[in-house]
Amino acid sequence: MIEVRDLVKEYRAGSGKAVRAVDGVSFHVADGEMVGLLGGNGAGKTTTMRIVATLLAPTSGMARVAGYDVRTDPIGVRRSLGYVSATTGVPDRLSPHEVLDSFGRLHGIDRRLLADRIASLTASLDLVGFLDRPCGRLSSGQRQRVSLARALVHDPPALVLDEPTSTLDVVGARDLFAMLQSLRAEGRTILVSTHRLHEIEHRCDRFVIIDAGRIVASGSRAELVAERSGGLEEAFFATIGGGAA
Amino acid sequence: MRSPHPTGGWPARLAIARRDLLEFIRDRRALFITLVMPMAMYPLLALSSTLGIRTAIFELDRRAESQRLDFVFSGTNAEPLAIRIGMLAEREEGKPEGWPETITARVVDPQSAQSLIDEGAADAWIDVPGGSLSKLDGAGTLPLEVRLSTVRPPDRRVKENVLAVMRGLADEARLARLRRAGLPASLIEPLRVNFSGDVPQGSAAAVRDILPAVTAAVLVLLALLTATGAFYPAIDAIAGEKERGTIETLLIAPCPMFDVVTGKFLAVFAVTLATLVANAISIVLTSTVLGRFLPGGFASGLRAGDLAACGLLTLIAYAGLAAVASALCLTVTAAAKSAKEAQNTLTPVVMLIAALAGVALVPGVEGRLWLPAVPFAGHVAVAKSMLSTFGGWGHGSQTVDDAAPQFSLGLPVALAISVVSSVALTWLLLAVTAQIVANEEILFRGPEEATRGFRRPPHRVVPTVWQGCGAVALGLAALWYAQGLAPGEFVPALIVQQAVAVLLPLLAVAWWQRVDARHTFAIRLPGGSWPRAGAALAGAALLGGGLFVVGAAVALAAWRGEVSPEARRFADQIVDLIQRGPTWATVLALAVMPAVCEELFFRGWALSAFVGSRPTRRRAAVAVVAQAAAFAAFHLLPERMPQTFVMGLVLGGLVLATGSILPAIVAHAAHNATPVLLVAAASPEELDSLSRSTPGLPPWSVGVALGCLVGGAALLALARYRRLPEPDGT
Repeated sequence: MIEVRDLVKEYRAGSGKAVRAVDGVSFHVADGEMVGLLGGNGAGKTTTMRIVATLLAPTSGMARVAGYDVRTDPIGVRRSLGYVSATTGVPDRLSPHEVLDSFGRLHGIDRRLLADRIASLTASLDLVGFLDRPCGRLSSGQRQRVSLARALVHDPPALVLDEPTSTLDVVGARDLFAMLQSLRAEGRTILVSTHRLHEIEHRCDRFVIIDAGRIVASGSRAELVAERSGGLEEAFFATIGGGAA
Repeated sequence: MRSPHPTGGWPARLAIARRDLLEFIRDRRALFITLVMPMAMYPLLALSSTLGIRTAIFELDRRAESQRLDFVFSGTNAEPLAIRIGMLAEREEGKPEGWPETITARVVDPQSAQSLIDEGAADAWIDVPGGSLSKLDGAGTLPLEVRLSTVRPPDRRVKENVLAVMRGLADEARLARLRRAGLPASLIEPLRVNFSGDVPQGSAAAVRDILPAVTAAVLVLLALLTATGAFYPAIDAIAGEKERGTIETLLIAPCPMFDVVTGKFLAVFAVTLATLVANAISIVLTSTVLGRFLPGGFASGLRAGDLAACGLLTLIAYAGLAAVASALCLTVTAAAKSAKEAQNTLTPVVMLIAALAGVALVPGVEGRLWLPAVPFAGHVAVAKSMLSTFGGWGHGSQTVDDAAPQFSLGLPVALAISVVSSVALTWLLLAVTAQIVANEEILFRGPEEATRGFRRPPHRVVPTVWQGCGAVALGLAALWYAQGLAPGEFVPALIVQQAVAVLLPLLAVAWWQRVDARHTFAIRLPGGSWPRAGAALAGAALLGGGLFVVGAAVALAAWRGEVSPEARRFADQIVDLIQRGPTWATVLALAVMPAVCEELFFRGWALSAFVGSRPTRRRAAVAVVAQAAAFAAFHLLPERMPQTFVMGLVLGGLVLATGSILPAIVAHAAHNATPVLLVAAASPEELDSLSRSTPGLPPWSVGVALGCLVGGAALLALARYRRLPEPDGT
């Protein structure tokens, strides 16, 4: 469903020199699979995800979602993908219903179908109680749920979530991951990045660990923690060469 | 669930517009400032201005009603002159126009007269010495000194009244002289004018004549306020979304960037149109109320029905303005990372709109075919023309109708040009905005980038195009101030102009940018060796001198002796300077100093900026034309611009061809020194005969100049110049 091969992204720094944020990254996320993209700040996770979501153009390499290439068919990619950024991306002055309605219209969904879809999403993501309240008055957890609903309004087969739990408390993060698991159970493909390794380690099928723009390890939890004591967090620190907290 | 229909297009644009409008409407503070403030502002403006207008009208009326002149006379012939004026005042006919209603005349001694004037008890004091009357009645000219009161505020009316009385006296004396000479009175009155019909009378009618000027000022104000209606929604549309972190989710919508930007534009445009309507309604209502507070003659031109029609016409003419302003605001705020940064970028937009709207008020541009195509200027001009033609508020005022700018192809064509150009410009601006928003380096740049423009940039070999444009803009602004603040004397003025408008901007930008001076200013020996350099510089000198003579011959032939007073004064100043000062000093001031300063600025900084660090033939050609245009603009006088433009082209080409600025400096100095040396060598008789004869140069001089051009080109070719090595970095 999501395929990334030899992906390279270079930025031009203020001094004019090229900085390679992503350096030959390759991985894939199979249909119905949930993969965690792990790495420290500045490792290249967000850049990779933005390329997959067509927000950035790759310098070289290839990225595909549902068979659509990010370079040649970005519209096809966007139709097949739901994207949740680190900031919830929800306008303060609009209500959740208006957010979902406007994004549904943007995706060209028929009004009747859209009404049904909003009703079903708000029920499944527990938004009914605050559907007409301005998003600016919602809690972080509620806003993140609105954001997730927004990403799902066009019923995409794949989801990309860039640190969706960064603004959430422990309870909110746990609830969100539970929702993601149920979405995977529906058959959706999910690529998610987070720093909450202990919460994600038993929920993802596989992990891709990225450091300084390169993939330094990948595999299932069992493969990553093999021959090491402890869990995913210890394996992560051992892989990127940092000390465990 | 995925749409079977293609996404994007108008449904997506309208969805984005609806979303943005909903957001804007819920921002009550922005809504209040954008839509409600104008409704309160115009009444406040009108209230304060009404007080001023009423005071001015009453003052005019008071003066018109009390056209009184208090004379005080002293001197031996004071009494007979006063009596003669009194007799004139009592006559029913034959008094000149402007004769005061009431004249009082007191005859006193000079000390008393001085006291009366000093106290303000009299308007004018005339000391009439003995023999004045006989001179007046004889054949001579009587000189009279009129001293006006210095205590009262200066009043033009007093001077006009005195002149009217003196004209009456002079007319009477003239007629008496004609009678004595046996000549008819009609000898000195070959023409008599009588007005009939609706002759404007009274101060209120005079005040009403200012209506076109007031309307024009209100239209410019309306243009500015309409544009400010676009500010808040434009800031919110892109920079606000970036700040709130909602832009990413919008940009992954399955539609092209142009659709996203168009959707945002529609929301901004809707708010701007609403601002325009609110302003127009407020202006109409305020004008209706204003009419009731002003004198009848003024108010009769401000009927409610006409004003409503005027409001509607203005809306039609200004719809394009609202569109261009909305798109422009979106474009300039698109690169901003935050709302605060976006606000800063909008300040120059206000200046741009004010300057362009003001162009419509410049005398002489009214009715020009190109004017409707100029954004903001065209909208104001078309609106002004529509109001004057159809508005009907000019009833009874011939001045209003006369002032209506008539477009050569008619108002409908002007309106069509305005609409089409507005649509085209809006589309272009939206396309540029889409490019800016899609630029990922702008979209995802860090907050520290926002202040990059105020940090000294890293070292470059040559300046950027923007730095070149910035220096030219800075120089033009400095030239404007230098023109106004420079001393009256020609040479000091020239020195100030060169220092303020050329050297200071150049030093400032060069210090700021830390460029490689050798590459930027092409400081190197042409040809690489002294003999070749000598040939190149001699060739450049011949080229410069020949260029002046040929250019002058062409210009004189083109003008056919008709030059503007400014150009004539400029030429006279130069000739006077050459004749008065030592030749070497004049050459230094007029030739060497401008050559060095202007060449470093235009053929150094500007040319290297426009050519760039990786020059191509096409870019070099564009760069030469661009710097020549800037060079021509610096010379202000339209008559000189074609010649300076051609000279800029030649000198720019010379620098690129030789890789050195020195030939350009020498050619420029030779160009300017040629007239100095020619005038210095000519005898006063030759100069006098030249100024009296038909303007033009002798054919032999043009022949010599053409020879110089050919010789100069040959010498430059002989120098076998080498190109400047390509810079190896940016």
